[in-house]
Amino acid sequence: MLWKLLKQHISVAQLTGFFIANLCGMVIVMLGVQFYNDVLPVFTQEDSFIKKDYIVVTKKVSTLGSIAGKSGTFSSYELDDLKAQPFTVEVGAFQPAQFKVSAGISFGGMDMSTAMFLESVPDNFVDVKADAWEYLEGQKEIPIIIPRNYLNLYNFGFARSRNLPQLSEGMIGLVSLNLYISGNGMREMKKGRIVGFSNRLNTILVPEAFMMAANATYGGNKSWEPSRLIIEVDNPADERIAGYFNDNGYETEDNKLDAGRITWFLKLAVGVVMTVGLVISLLSFYILLLSIYLLLQKNTDKLENLILLGYSVSRVAMPYQVLTVVMNFSVFILSVIIMFIVRDVYTDALSDIITGYDDGNIAQSLVCGVILFVLVSVYNIIAISRKIKSII
Amino acid sequence: MERIELDNVLPAVFSGRNNIVSDLWLRKLCFEKGKSYLIEAASGTGKSSLCSFIYGYRKDYDGVICFDCSDIKNFSGSVWTMIRQRNLGMMFQELRLFPELTAGENVILKNNLTHFRDEGQIRKWFAMLGIDDKWTEPVGRMSFGQQQRVAFIRMLCQPSDFLFMDEPVSHLDDANGKVMAKILYDEIRERGVGVIVTSIGRRLEMNYDAEIKL
Repeated sequence: MLWKLLKQHISVAQLTGFFIANLCGMVIVMLGVQFYNDVLPVFTQEDSFIKKDYIVVTKKVSTLGSIAGKSGTFSSYELDDLKAQPFTVEVGAFQPAQFKVSAGISFGGMDMSTAMFLESVPDNFVDVKADAWEYLEGQKEIPIIIPRNYLNLYNFGFARSRNLPQLSEGMIGLVSLNLYISGNGMREMKKGRIVGFSNRLNTILVPEAFMMAANATYGGNKSWEPSRLIIEVDNPADERIAGYFNDNGYETEDNKLDAGRITWFLKLAVGVVMTVGLVISLLSFYILLLSIYLLLQKNTDKLENLILLGYSVSRVAMPYQVLTVVMNFSVFILSVIIMFIVRDVYTDALSDIITGYDDGNIAQSLVCGVILFVLVSVYNIIAISRKIKSII
Repeated sequence: MERIELDNVLPAVFSGRNNIVSDLWLRKLCFEKGKSYLIEAASGTGKSSLCSFIYGYRKDYDGVICFDCSDIKNFSGSVWTMIRQRNLGMMFQELRLFPELTAGENVILKNNLTHFRDEGQIRKWFAMLGIDDKWTEPVGRMSFGQQQRVAFIRMLCQPSDFLFMDEPVSHLDDANGKVMAKILYDEIRERGVGVIVTSIGRRLEMNYDAEIKL
């Protein structure tokens, strides 16, 4: 009965306007976040276990330098200078093994082994679950990350020509390698277990703790200077990075800088789109508030009479609050549905272009939608209560 | 709530006047539960102002109005909500009915809040006051006299300590006034309510405990 009284003067046109505007805003915001999440992996092809914005840097190898016997390593002065750069978040050195390693696999009665080299980077650059990437003194099994290329080399080159079975990444993870470590007059066999494949690090990585221990034992703990550095930067598209590298004759190992730029522009574009969405949401929210205020104003007499009858402000405000929350919620639900439909269309297109396309998760965009819904609703509820208190 | 006390009360619009002759303004006065009072007023003597002060929707007065010794100027919105649900029933001069609702709905709207009366009782009063055929009629289409009866019944739908009626019979005939008086006597006898009636010409005939000239 209260509703019958209070629904008078509700303007369907105004509420429809709000509904459509808010729907546009919310769809744009959610779709922006979702699109970013879906498309980002396409550009970056992240290694899931390596921190995102890092650059591997080496010194240029020149003919003259080779003849003159220049080492091509980074001195501690150069390292400190790099650390002091404004774009640098963290610098880690590749620590090379100072001992001989050969690795072998045995299966099907066949033994294969090959000379290898190992390197390590500080553990905080590696994003494998902590317990999988751990080395304790005397541990028999060493976790290893190898370049994905190696597996391809084996599968499409070696295995084909020798009639050997091809191996999937999952299978490789189950096979253990025999690592023969020798140096300093000692020799030991360890087991190696492959915990990940890297697209972007062209080296065989082992945990730093193991490398330090092994270098001390088998390498005589000689002093060394790194020839490769891994740098975490806050923004790979920062032009100062390219400038600094040019000035100092450093080279980056892969096209990370390009990928970084693309990512950065993608972020920028999505940021702009989301801002537009937010502005639309904000404006639509404003429409709703105005519409409700107008409604309250038109119903001032009724509200006043209800309060004088003994109805509390919260009870009188409730129908309007429920109305706005229901509207906001249906906008949210509809936005999610539209987002899924649009997403279906573009993921189809993306997976046509890119093989092995794996779409990103939807949690972030849903969380964005929920936050928007909650914020708008809570503010509506407060605004309506306040308005009613102010007009009576 | 047992007592409504007025101490030296004067509407702000009258302040500065020094020729006020009144049994109520600028006096000490107490309305007690279980008794009935008639406030007789000429036009422009602040009768409706008094109603709005006591019912808490205007505060532009000097002096002190207390309910059981608590100054009503300090009451919060939620306290007034409670008072209007449980302690004080008001029949406004302008009635404050909702014209788009039917007579029945107007009363039920109040009763839904208090759950004090059952529908049978409400319909019985409708019949006593001769408007039982108007139950489903929108109030906007009823005469003022009929509306006064609806507002009167609505006022009864709460567990009041005091009933305050601002010109309840201005548009009613004597027969209906007598029915109203009978209902009020019943309320005084059964529930011990205090009754305060104002009049500007036509008066609700009852045996008042006190008559006050405003």
